[in-house]
This record gives sequence, C-alpha cells and structure tokens, in this order.
Amino acid sequence: MDKFALNQFLTLLKREVLEHRNLFVLAPAFLALLLLFAAFWISKQFPRDQLASGVAYLAMLFDGLSPVDMAPVFMIGAIPFVFLLYTCAFVYLMNSLYQDRRDLSVLFWQSMPVSNLKTVLSKVVTIAAVAPFFYIAVLFGVYLIAMIWLTLLGIQFDIEIVGIGYMFLAAVVSLVFVYLSAIVTALWLFPSVGWLLLFSAFAKRTPFMWAAGVFILVGFLEDFLFGSQYLANWVESRANPNQYVIFSFGDLVDRLFNYDMLFGIFVGAILIAGAVLMRRFTD
Amino acid sequence: MKNIFLKNRYTLLLTVLAVYVLVLVIEGAITGREAKVVKFDNPFFDLNLNNFEEFMDNRD
Repeated sequence: MDKFALNQFLTLLKREVLEHRNLFVLAPAFLALLLLFAAFWISKQFPRDQLASGVAYLAMLFDGLSPVDMAPVFMIGAIPFVFLLYTCAFVYLMNSLYQDRRDLSVLFWQSMPVSNLKTVLSKVVTIAAVAPFFYIAVLFGVYLIAMIWLTLLGIQFDIEIVGIGYMFLAAVVSLVFVYLSAIVTALWLFPSVGWLLLFSAFAKRTPFMWAAGVFILVGFLEDFLFGSQYLANWVESRANPNQYVIFSFGDLVDRLFNYDMLFGIFVGAILIAGAVLMRRFTD
Repeated sequence: MKNIFLKNRYTLLLTVLAVYVLVLVIEGAITGREAKVVKFDNPFFDLNLNNFEEFMDNRD
C-alpha cells in the first residue's frame, strides 16, 4: 500500500471516529464516570475500619504474583465496557452505510477518489480495531484513577500498599488481553459484521428488520429446500465466548489460526463483498 | 451474467444470499457440522442436551 493510499485510509478512519464519537468516546467515558461514582458511593457506605482492612487486603492480594496470571481478574472489570462496545458496534454497523444513503452523503463520498471497497473496509477496521482502542483507553483511565484512589486511601489509613505495582501491571496486561479479545471477536463474528453491513447497504428503511427477518427466513428456506439445518447449526456452533475470548498470550494463536475462524472470515468476506457491490445502488 | 446479478439491489441481494447459503450448506454437509453450544464439558458432571433423556435416566 503506497503512502497516498495509506493516508487516504487513515482519513477514512478519522472520519468514522469523528462522525461516531458518541458511540466510541462519549459512551465509554459516560459509563466510566458512572462506575467510578458508584464505586465511590459504595466505599462511603462502609465503616472506616472495614474500609481500611479492605484496602490492606487489596494491597496484599497481588503482591509478588505474576501480572499475566492475575490479569483475568481485572478482565471482570471490563465486562460492562465489552457489553457496551458490542451494543455500540451493532448500532454502528446497522446504521453506518444506511445513514450515508439516507442523508445522501454517499453521493459526496462517491464523487471523491475513494472506492466503495475502501469505505466499507474502513468501517470494518473501525469496529475491529479503532473502537476497542478508545474503550481500552477509557478503561486504562478508570484503572489509573482506581490505583491513585487506593494509594490515597493507603496514605490516609497509614497502610503499606506493597502490591500496588503488581496490581497495576496486572490491570495493564488485562487491557492488552481485552483489546486482543475485541479484535479476535470481530474476526470471529466477521459473518455477523458482513451480514449487518450488507443490510445496512441494502435497506431503504428499517435495516434491522430486514437483517433479522431475512436471517430467520433464510434458515427456514434452507430447511425447506435442502431438508438440512446447517445454517442454524453453524450459528449455534459459533456462539460460545470461549471460542474468541483471550485469557493468555498462548490463546492468541489457537484462536486466530483454526479452521472455524478462517472459514468464518471467508463467509464474512462474501457478505462484505455484497455490501461493497450494494453501495453502487444509491437510490 | 454480471448484468443480471447487478441489475438492481434485489437481484444482488438474492445472489449474495444464494452464495452464502450454498457455501454454508456444502461446508456443513462435508464436515457434518453439528451445533456445539448445547454440549457442556466440565469436570463435575456430563450434560449433553442432545441426549436429555439419558441424562434424566442417569439422574434417577
């Protein structure tokens, strides 16, 4: 890829972030504020001596333990953010190409030297790598504030917080795992990403109804035409989070390079190719 | 052929869906794909919802 094409693609990614900053920046920031206020309020409900012993316990808990081994503990804290990311990703994928046609900005973008393929790929990369990055950045901020707060409590109660360095390292490693999990999840759910983009590019109105309705219809049609249920089996066989969540660096290669993952990417590519071709119908 | 597929949005959608279904059905038939989500592997007990009657008999 030459430098011009790379800059062009980066500009497309920047456009996606600017147009959807509510989903990618403000939503996780709002959730982080909400969780921090909730944690602060809960801590105020405890008596002073119980809070002090809690801080002492937390400070000792991670002392001397491997941050990589303890990282999954902090991944629990990322669960609300991951759910929010999936929700925002769904809304984004369902509306992105549809909104372009609705406000007729598709005509402007098609008059620019940017191919439909690059436009659609920029949306895929946005959801797979760029959006999770903002969520991870916000989560990093939350963990940093929590560590500073813990340190201040330690000073206030005159407790030696010996394990806080290990705790912070475990939190940072957990963020790496969450980011890698988000990327692997996007690849694992590539057929779903392609399906949503296809109907976002296709529907003249209510893209969600089209996407959901045709999904159910195609399942019935397969049963009717071929007497089989491979579509439903395929969806069911890919619905287990253990297939794409990463808890250690060793998991990464296993999750990325297996038959189901590569076949899913192939099927997703068919649907995304359909979405690219569908972009030519702007009426 | 290309003109027929790309005639309008509906023909394109039907083409993409036909390719999608065919690929999945052929792959499913070759590999004998079955749903895995109903099988739980855990160290405490065996539960396979595909064979729920056997599970109930064992319980009794």
